[in-house]
Amino acid sequence: MAEIQLKNVSKRWGSFVGVDNFDLTIADREFLVLLGPSGCGKTTTMRMIAGLEDATGGDILIDGSRVNDLEPKDRDVAMVFQSYALYPNMNVYENIRFPLKVRRVDPGTHDEKVRRASAMVELDDFLHRKPAELSGGQRQRVALARAIVREPNVFLMDEPLSNLDAKLRVSTRAQIKNLSHELAVTTIYVTHDQIEAMTLADRVVVMKNGVVQQIGSPTEIYDRPANAFVASFIGNPAMNLVEGEVADGTFHAPNVSIPGLSAADGKVVLGFRAEDANVVQNGGQINAPIYTMELLGDATMVSVRIGGALVSVKADKTFRAEIDDPVSIEVHQGHCHLFDAETGARIGG
Amino acid sequence: MSSKAQRQPAAITLLVVAVLATWMALAAFPFLWTLWGSFKVEGDFFSKADWFNALTGTLTVAETGGRFTGNGYYGAWVQEEFWRAALNSLIVCFFVVTISLTLGTLGGYALARSTYRYAFWFLLAALIFRAMPPITLVSGYLPVFFQWNLWGHTATTIIVLVAINQPFTLWMLHSFFKNIPAELDESAMVDGCTRFQAFRNVIIPVMWPGVITTGLFSFLLAYNDFAVTAMLLSKENQTMIPKVASFLGTTQTKGNVMFAVASVVSVTAPLFLMIMFFQRQIVGGLTAGAVKG
Repeated sequence: MAEIQLKNVSKRWGSFVGVDNFDLTIADREFLVLLGPSGCGKTTTMRMIAGLEDATGGDILIDGSRVNDLEPKDRDVAMVFQSYALYPNMNVYENIRFPLKVRRVDPGTHDEKVRRASAMVELDDFLHRKPAELSGGQRQRVALARAIVREPNVFLMDEPLSNLDAKLRVSTRAQIKNLSHELAVTTIYVTHDQIEAMTLADRVVVMKNGVVQQIGSPTEIYDRPANAFVASFIGNPAMNLVEGEVADGTFHAPNVSIPGLSAADGKVVLGFRAEDANVVQNGGQINAPIYTMELLGDATMVSVRIGGALVSVKADKTFRAEIDDPVSIEVHQGHCHLFDAETGARIGG
Repeated sequence: MSSKAQRQPAAITLLVVAVLATWMALAAFPFLWTLWGSFKVEGDFFSKADWFNALTGTLTVAETGGRFTGNGYYGAWVQEEFWRAALNSLIVCFFVVTISLTLGTLGGYALARSTYRYAFWFLLAALIFRAMPPITLVSGYLPVFFQWNLWGHTATTIIVLVAINQPFTLWMLHSFFKNIPAELDESAMVDGCTRFQAFRNVIIPVMWPGVITTGLFSFLLAYNDFAVTAMLLSKENQTMIPKVASFLGTTQTKGNVMFAVASVVSVTAPLFLMIMFFQRQIVGGLTAGAVKG
């Protein structure tokens, strides 16, 4: 049971701002994902919650009590590190048992707890191995087991999947999701991979340069990005962004003309997702030569160039054309997002 | 294919073996020669008539009745009480290693984990002090030690040797600690350790080869030191190396060279055993970067 409150938390190194005025309440049992490119302050935020980094401003509260001045060990958090940070001189069993030992948990219960935690991550057969004798995925699971063994208030996970290969990442992601559902503990998860964020999170915090860009459920973030940065960061492929101008409710850019928009006249950035547009015979809002075509199996990705930007559209998997063939793309104004050309902020609904 | 490509012509193999054998012989010869000679009398080992006497031992047979004699050892260890020097060496080495390692591990760890810039300058200053010949410090402390009546004591020498040795231990341990990812301490602290418990329960066990290697080098420095021990220790507190030197005599006094030869062998033998014993840790210490879990 733990609710975490961050009140105007900041981290500065001299004049460099790592995290700026982070303000958020994380509900008990929530799975929160901090998402952003490297250097955006997401890991710093997590390390401040863990107590490994001192906040230079603001308050961090766990269950209503301020923890800024507490040592990491007194905050009752468990953390999975990016490099796993297993103790190389101890075998798997001792690694998992370590938190119980240093916290002076009744020794009689150690064996049962270690075995339960290792069973949850399917490590039963490896308890006597040293970390050096394990594969990357197994080490990752040891780190998970070590985190869950003492049933902490809060889980912190710092890019736990980034050192795994693509296939293992998918299965471990599923395992983490299942585990978090089973344990029902407040979890903060740091990643730069938007797919992990979308699949795991109850809520996502998108960060850039130490500043929170948007906080919302994965659906909200995907469907209504708060600014052009979030739009360009979320989704695979990222949202198409076209610079242009609105005049009388119609968006104009080279080879593009989309009517029916409710926005004031002026420069804007128009965004739409690849799957929200169609390739049509003719009469589409975008008409341009094909820049490239990629076969994905379940669909064909068709790209055209508009100004400096690459605009991708998901066409039917049977669609075939040559590079430089003219193509017509249909985009409904209902699927369009408009962003301020200067600030990148979302315009209208 | 590859095995054929890797196979060397016989001539090259022969050359390699010959070079290695020559090197081995050159390296080992002084030790073996001293060991052999330590069981002869001075007239043989330092024969003016014929160096071949050192091998045949003509005078040794004439003087003692046997081809080998333990007179050198008896004279050094019993008559001249070399055992006292050995004991002093043991005391000095033990305390130098213990103090150096205690300060070195704590300091090296602190410097390795420090995020402040002064840590770098501190280490650089340490390197400069390490580069100075120990004898340059003598003029600084010798008058003070006389004035304060500290001269001649084992403890004084231990402190000076630790001071000379500390920059090196700090450097060496610092780089060993640097090789251990900071996430390991952080993980331990989140798991429930204080900073010191993380250091003791998690980092030091991983560091063990590094500690052994550094400890061994500290030991060798104290064990082999001549400049400081010869200057600072009174006769009854002398360690082995200055004692060996005193056997050789001075311009005023006639020494007994065979006592020196026997005690040189006595000084060297434990080093061989120790290096053999710790070789696994030393090799481990030199590759301590491999600990990344």
